[in-house]
Amino acid sequence: MVEHVVDSWRPLAAVLISAVAIALIVASHRRPNVREAWSVLASVGKFAIVASMLPGVLDGTEYRWSLGMVPGLDSEFVFGVEFALRADALGMLFALLASFLWIFTAFYSAGYMRGLDEPNQTRFFASFAASLSAAIGIAFAENLVTIFVFYELLSVATYPLVAHDETDEARAAGRKYLAYTFFGGGFLVLAGTALVFVLTDTTTFGATAADLAEADPALARAAFGLLAAGFGVKAGLMPLHSWLPDAMVAPTPVSGLLHAVAVVKSGAFGVARVVLEVFEPDLVGELGVGLALAAVAAFTLTAASIIALRADRLKRRLAFSTVSQLSYIVLGLGLAGPAAVAGSGTKTVIIGGLLHIPAHAFMKLTLFFCAGFIHVETHTDYISEMDGIAKRMPLTMAAFAVAAAGMAGIPLVAGFVSKWFLLIGAVEANQAIFAVVLLLSGVLNIAYFWPIVYGAFFESHDDADSKPLIEFPLGGRASGGASAGEPEAVADGGAADDAHDDDAAATDEHQEGGHHDTADHEHAGHAVHSDDQHEDHDHHGGPPPGGWERAGWTGAEGSWLMLGPILVIVAGAVVLGVVPYQAVFLELIEVIAEGVVG
Amino acid sequence: MTETLLFVGDLLTSQYTYLLFAILLVVGLYIVVASSNLVKKVIGLNLFQTAIFLFFISAAYVQGGQSPILPSEGAGEGLYASPLPQVLVLTAIVVGVALTAVGLALIVRIYSEYGTLDEETLREVRADE
Amino acid sequence: MSELLPALLIVLPIVGATLPLGVGLLRENVGWSIAALVLSVEGGLAAWLATAVYGGEGAARIVHVLGGETFGRRGATENFVVGIELVADAFSGLMVLLVAGVALGVLAFARRGGPRGNAFYSGYLLLTGGLMGLFLTGDLFNLFVFLEIVGLTTYGLVASDRDAESAVAALKYLVIGTTGASLYLLGVGYLFLRTGALNMVDVSRSLAGEPEWIDGALYGDPLVLAAFGFIAVGLMTKAAIYPLHTWQPDAYAAAPDAVTVYISALVSTGGAYAFARVTWTVFTPEFFAVGQNARILELVIVLACLSVVLGSGLAAMQRRLKRLFAYSSVSQFGLIVIGVCVAVHPAGGTQATQLAVYGVVIHLLGHGLIKGGLFATVGALAHGTGARRVREYAGLAKRRPFLSGSIAVLGLAIVGVPPTIGFLGKWYLAVGALNTELWPVIFVVFASTLLTLLYVARLLETLYFDGPAEGAAPAAGPEPEGPGAPGGADDAVMTDGAGSLSYGMIALAVSAAVLTVLLGFAGSALTDATQPIAQAVIEAAPEVGADG
Repeated sequence: MVEHVVDSWRPLAAVLISAVAIALIVASHRRPNVREAWSVLASVGKFAIVASMLPGVLDGTEYRWSLGMVPGLDSEFVFGVEFALRADALGMLFALLASFLWIFTAFYSAGYMRGLDEPNQTRFFASFAASLSAAIGIAFAENLVTIFVFYELLSVATYPLVAHDETDEARAAGRKYLAYTFFGGGFLVLAGTALVFVLTDTTTFGATAADLAEADPALARAAFGLLAAGFGVKAGLMPLHSWLPDAMVAPTPVSGLLHAVAVVKSGAFGVARVVLEVFEPDLVGELGVGLALAAVAAFTLTAASIIALRADRLKRRLAFSTVSQLSYIVLGLGLAGPAAVAGSGTKTVIIGGLLHIPAHAFMKLTLFFCAGFIHVETHTDYISEMDGIAKRMPLTMAAFAVAAAGMAGIPLVAGFVSKWFLLIGAVEANQAIFAVVLLLSGVLNIAYFWPIVYGAFFESHDDADSKPLIEFPLGGRASGGASAGEPEAVADGGAADDAHDDDAAATDEHQEGGHHDTADHEHAGHAVHSDDQHEDHDHHGGPPPGGWERAGWTGAEGSWLMLGPILVIVAGAVVLGVVPYQAVFLELIEVIAEGVVG
Repeated sequence: MTETLLFVGDLLTSQYTYLLFAILLVVGLYIVVASSNLVKKVIGLNLFQTAIFLFFISAAYVQGGQSPILPSEGAGEGLYASPLPQVLVLTAIVVGVALTAVGLALIVRIYSEYGTLDEETLREVRADE
Repeated sequence: MSELLPALLIVLPIVGATLPLGVGLLRENVGWSIAALVLSVEGGLAAWLATAVYGGEGAARIVHVLGGETFGRRGATENFVVGIELVADAFSGLMVLLVAGVALGVLAFARRGGPRGNAFYSGYLLLTGGLMGLFLTGDLFNLFVFLEIVGLTTYGLVASDRDAESAVAALKYLVIGTTGASLYLLGVGYLFLRTGALNMVDVSRSLAGEPEWIDGALYGDPLVLAAFGFIAVGLMTKAAIYPLHTWQPDAYAAAPDAVTVYISALVSTGGAYAFARVTWTVFTPEFFAVGQNARILELVIVLACLSVVLGSGLAAMQRRLKRLFAYSSVSQFGLIVIGVCVAVHPAGGTQATQLAVYGVVIHLLGHGLIKGGLFATVGALAHGTGARRVREYAGLAKRRPFLSGSIAVLGLAIVGVPPTIGFLGKWYLAVGALNTELWPVIFVVFASTLLTLLYVARLLETLYFDGPAEGAAPAAGPEPEGPGAPGGADDAVMTDGAGSLSYGMIALAVSAAVLTVLLGFAGSALTDATQPIAQAVIEAAPEVGADG
């Protein structure tokens, strides 16, 4: 494939369009309708600009912008490194995904924020637009320094979103988020970038591998470790993942687009750049770092799935699912090293890993949107309160079920295709052990999603089966539902009683009439979840007295502003699963894999 | 042993200004650090600076040297002392005097406010406020 | 004509300093106008000098010998200069621009907020003249004199609001500062004893053993090593490096706001500049390559690393904003001193030298700009709302969006978040250090990002995500900022200085923030300007940019 590079302002325009929108959003803070209109316009515009480059990129053209194209400025950003954006196939994959999904998230978040009557909405929408700017910047960055610039900006821009609620919990999560991401970005990635620069005198993607191969292997391994760990922080690699579940205190559109797509995928994308273009699979394999990365990823995806089994708060369970699914991507990339050494399967694992970027994005966004929609409509956050909820929100739960099936890798949904490639590739690369891990993880996926779906559709609130995994302490000792009187079952000592009392009192105010017993029962149940220490008890979910009302299948369950995006995105997930070659992502990824493997 | 004796002898007879310089320097620095009286601190600072002036002057001393004032019909024969260190020390003295003045002015201000010149007492007084 | 510029730049503000006092006998409150006039002309001269230095190919080296040819350099190179040389080269040119810019900017702040009275403006102009001299002189003893002029006027200005608290701080500063300057003088005396010269170029050449009457290089001489030790300790005191930093938090915290802005941006910068200049130009990398001389450099590096770590740690523990940022300066100058040492450390090759020199110069400029901007913002917020402690900042972002935005941008810049000039400085320092493979130092430099984040993140969280302080009703939305903006009767934290916020203060704070970001994209211009310095250090040449 003949590559040729065209100077163009389009990559910069794609980055800046939402930065311009920030100013407009802030300026129109007194008129919410105008403000949201800017958001939507920016998202559509951004997608249009990105999409306009797609045909060219598929034909092997790359669009490049550098600082030197601004009159009076030099391209050089720091000595020996240009500040440049280049829309290549890999960048397009991420940019296309993020900008496409932002359109629907823009609608959805308008509905979400209004439905909950959240404060500081202007700050929310402005930060959201800023985050998207930074994400596209990461996608198109041409070298490690430029990607670092946007990586840091992304950390800064998403911090206000995590701490949005201004509660103690949200601020603590924000602090943790900043600490983790700056450790990953300002320390690890910066150090890795500097090391690569010192070893090779350049940081441009695709130009460093030859020099790195000749450098001291210990230093080259150190550089890989620093970069992979640095990007791995945002990609939720264990043991640096714990900011992600905490960051779920953010409003759901943030959890959805940023903490399932833009932010965390920027980490995975960074790993992809490092593996495929900074070091390139051959060197990754020779240095032996690919196998190490794959091992970390395999551990993460198994461990996170197991933790997810015990999370009762829906968003928290989804967060651990995200941690686990992101590791599929990293696993695919890590396996590229051993596969290159083995001489077979490189292309397959790369395709599998990269395809999981859009596949997971579509599915997880659906799941988060469903969770947010349920929260807005019924204030239900806990899985144990969701039995029978399909009666109240049939379309939502149907979408949820489809996306959950995809997560588990059931055919005809997006997740199946990427996992299939990964499985085949792992076997081709003589790393069958990872194929076993993948299959095991599929089982675990079913184990943590099926109870939600089953409970929602086939049980009612009053006669639900017990949920041993989330109700009983580890070890399976049955202490019964009303365990508040048994302090030994409580992780943090006597606090359970207090929590119990507070809850009961608060519930009294909240729910007029009887039904105290059930409410007490439920909340006492929460107090023993040693796993969910950050639960706040502000929300009182669960069905109203007398069980869930029945809503029809025609969208009576809530605002179409939120339901619409859910249905569109789940449809996207199915399209990706049924006709992967017609959806543009697989084609793009094959271009990438061709470029890498040659 | 003899060498050491010779060295000490030399130091005490012809190089004693350097010895004085070292003693003054250390004494001055000690006062600055150890004294809690603000005025004494400034005095210590002065001693410290004086020691350095003495160092420059000692270095410039030439045995039998004349003051470097040249007659108009050209340089005469003979040994001259370098004028440069003297000039430097003059300048440094001026700087030192200015510093002392500013320091004392500040001390007057502090005394009129807190009624003490003792650093420890001052710390207690300020902590109470 | 341009040969006169270095002298003019020093003389103009010093002569101008007599005017506010003199004219003040006839009319009151003329100080500000006179200072504004003098400094505008000064700014013009500085810009002219900058064009003269950077205008041509490479960077010119403009030399002015005080006293003319009589005292100048005559004949062969071995004729030492008798008089004082003023030198404007690639290094001092940048610093002169910084001084002129900051001096003008702070005037905008002092118009309403600063200490009033003509005497203040006399001191202000004198300080500007002293700083110009500090950056422009090419003579070691003259450097001492200008250090002391800067010191003296700073002590006076710190106490210029006649508060007893600030008098105590100023006296502490005076005692420590004078001790430091005297140690520097002692070091210069040692050098003079050995080489018989005071001109930086001449001393450097003599140390290298160029003149015929010197028998080989003097680098191994213990006297020379001791001279470096005294000079390093003296100048590190001026730059507030741990454990000689103790004067700085008190002085910054007690000084009037306008003075804090000025001295935080320039005075310690002067100390660090002098250290870099003497280390690079006079001692040169060749001195440290001899024998065990690099050990003393490593000792300095250890202190600088401690400065980085402890400065940030202490900053994170402070409750008052001005003390917090004062300790932050301790930490940042630690980074700069690390860079100065890395540039001449024998473990690094030419690339380490080149990048570390870039880092030092850019971070000196950037830190001056950022820290000055931060203190200006903090001062403006104190004038607008009375808030001087971190917890009083709770929820201020809603009432003062522009000033809070400045704090956010400048705070992130000091952390090193790109694209700001703070990032550029840190990047070069880090990459330079990486080239030496001194791993513990490298670790400290990279970890400094996280250490800085400790206090910046705490501040930003309080500013944006804490509810307003107790007793204060939440404000309805962003209020119009400006002198007319009422703080509101519900403002519980409003105390002294409330309501004296001026547009000048806001403009200064915001323009510092904007400039910080814009300069983040001027990387190549900055490195081009710095390249002659790096070249000179690499070649161990005492004259920066002499051969174009």
